[in-house]
Amino acid sequence: MSNKLVKKYSREEIERIISICENIEKRGLDPFSLDVKELLVKLRKMLEENPDLDYYLLDVETIYRIATIIALQHKWLTEKARSLFIDSQLISSRVTVLDKKSIVQAFLKAWRPIISIDQLTSQRLHHGYEHFLNLPPRRDERRYGWKLTEKEAELAQIYLEKEREEVEEKMKVLYDELVEKARGKNDVDYWDFVLRPSLEETYHRAYVLSFLISEGYVEVKKNPLGDELKLVPNTRKVSRKNAASLVISLMGRWR
Amino acid sequence: MNSEERISRKLMIAATMLFFKSHRSPGVRGWELKNRLGKNYMKVLELLNHKLNELGLQIKTVFEDESSQDLDRARFYVTLTHPLTMSDLVTSDYRIDEVAALAVALSIIYSRGGKASLRDVLDVLETKFPKWKAETYIERAVRRGYINKTEDEILTVGWRARVELDQKELLKAILEAQPPHEDKAEKDIKEDKAE
Repeated sequence: MSNKLVKKYSREEIERIISICENIEKRGLDPFSLDVKELLVKLRKMLEENPDLDYYLLDVETIYRIATIIALQHKWLTEKARSLFIDSQLISSRVTVLDKKSIVQAFLKAWRPIISIDQLTSQRLHHGYEHFLNLPPRRDERRYGWKLTEKEAELAQIYLEKEREEVEEKMKVLYDELVEKARGKNDVDYWDFVLRPSLEETYHRAYVLSFLISEGYVEVKKNPLGDELKLVPNTRKVSRKNAASLVISLMGRWR
Repeated sequence: MNSEERISRKLMIAATMLFFKSHRSPGVRGWELKNRLGKNYMKVLELLNHKLNELGLQIKTVFEDESSQDLDRARFYVTLTHPLTMSDLVTSDYRIDEVAALAVALSIIYSRGGKASLRDVLDVLETKFPKWKAETYIERAVRRGYINKTEDEILTVGWRARVELDQKELLKAILEAQPPHEDKAEKDIKEDKAE
């Protein structure tokens, strides 16, 4: 009975230490408020009294938390040195006695605001205007009088058909290239396949490849533990039952 | 295009990229400048900085990780070289009360090693402002990027404060600032001496 009581008390003690460490870490309290040396001695003593697996696991977590506190102590010292070891109580009492104007004047001495432009230039405005003209009309807009003439509709149809054929042709070329690269191995690295010296070409390959993936000609395998992406060409078109979007950012890859 | 024209064009591109807000927040990454200006982009920035200095502006580099000092991942901003005056502030987008609250909050955060609880900061602010105003000013500072607020209501230094503020200078200026009654006392002493 008494042994059980000692065990319970020890476990609670360790959990209390963990919670104190967590609190210091989360709330940004003074990490030197904890006596690390004393804690380690206590921890060793408790472990000697209770040599079982549960306590060893708790001990591991506690040691991790104490290590975090030591890292925080290091950071705290660096920050203190950077702020000339000015005591926070001193600052709090100082700002309480100062009037608003004096505080603002002090702030202005240290403040160098960022200069940036928020408004449009005439050049950007012109780009925007051109973009607006090129936008396709929305369905609701047609109801309010916007209509294509028969000739325009016919031309648009021809243009779309031509564009579809072009994309299909590019998809075929890229698919053949992928099949060729994947010959003899199961997959091809996405970045090896897509990246090219010019940014335009890289974007273009990624764009056409996205159609091949959506259409079911190519599978993408993502390693959940890393950022590895593999392409596997299918021998025939596979219909997608559970399609999901995959965002692949070129940022940082293409320099 | 001769070399002078090429340099001048690069300067114009760099200035546009730095001044014009192309993302939600201002500033340009090193690799973005490298893409547009070429691998010698730091030389172009140096030249531009020289020209901007004449106008009281400067290019400021803020590293993502101070220890690695990776220029490609660093952010570049244009800031003022000189401090603003009270009259400059009056004509700006900021209210004096708001700047005072920001100064108080940041000086407390800095003095506590870069982290302070919202409650502690509000306790000090509420000695000067009503509660609703103090909370509004903190929220505004968070929106402007001067302060970060975590889910646990802990305040840390925001990206904008890292760019725009000199931590040491702020704490020093706060400690050196004279409270109004001290000014009055000094004035009284001077008057006594004059008599």
